[in-house]
Amino acid sequence: MNKQQQIDKMTDEALNSLDGADRATARPYLFTRLKARMERQDESAWENVGRFIARPAVVVAGLCVIIALNVLAITSNNSTASNTSVAEQSATQDEFSPSIASLYDTENNEQ
Amino acid sequence: MNQPELVVQLQQGDESAFRKLVDEWQDMVYNTAVGIVQNPDDADDITQEVFVQVFQSIHSFKGDSKFSTWLYRITVSKALDHEKKKNRKKRFAFVQGLFGGKEEEQLHPVEFDHPGVLAERKERAAALFQALKQLAPNQRIAFTLHKLEGQSYQEIAEIMNTTLFAVESLMGRAKTNLKKILNDYYRESFDDK
Repeated sequence: MNKQQQIDKMTDEALNSLDGADRATARPYLFTRLKARMERQDESAWENVGRFIARPAVVVAGLCVIIALNVLAITSNNSTASNTSVAEQSATQDEFSPSIASLYDTENNEQ
Repeated sequence: MNQPELVVQLQQGDESAFRKLVDEWQDMVYNTAVGIVQNPDDADDITQEVFVQVFQSIHSFKGDSKFSTWLYRITVSKALDHEKKKNRKKRFAFVQGLFGGKEEEQLHPVEFDHPGVLAERKERAAALFQALKQLAPNQRIAFTLHKLEGQSYQEIAEIMNTTLFAVESLMGRAKTNLKKILNDYYRESFDDK
């Protein structure tokens, strides 16, 4: 038998080496280990939530959202302040002006 | 107890039905997983993950396919996920190794010895398992299900959610590629002598 024939024979043997193989059997006490694993998973559900929140990516994303909300709030305040009409401004001035008699003063004068 | 009855009991959260299911199917799940990942510890881990998944998602099993087909699908998908995770770790270990870490043993995995293979075929089987690692995942899964689990091409098509023709084609390509890889391997070992 020449070299190539030998190689072909070995290749065919390798290709057919799983024929008639038995099933590999799972390790003993699988159900017991499985139950313990499932109980552990139940207990660690909250730990997982905590771990998720503590991830650097989540922390950074959270901070970015907070900063963005703050920037949004500041810019929208500025724009509403500049849009406030003169009438509104004077109404506010009148309301807080000490020179205008309030309802309280009117009641006092009546007495 | 027949399969539909067992499924109904599982859906009702019956623990004894779950125990029965595990006892009945554990070797099938383990054998499939160990054939794909070629590592007994990983296969044990995957087997547990599969049954946890079955327990959690039994309500989604509508009985459109056989229960065994559904179980094979979960096993194959968990095994592939496990492999992906392991490959990511290997890449990370490789990068760590470049910076002086001690992770080299993970880069050179040991030869896999399937416990069910006949003693006189162990050496050839080890070479075959090494060659299997070089195949595309679909070819490897089809070949493993057929050779290790004795599944017919039709059953493999149902498990892989594809056509019979596609499985025949996958098996053809798998055999051709394996033949080439093994041929090269044995030629090299001849040349080394």
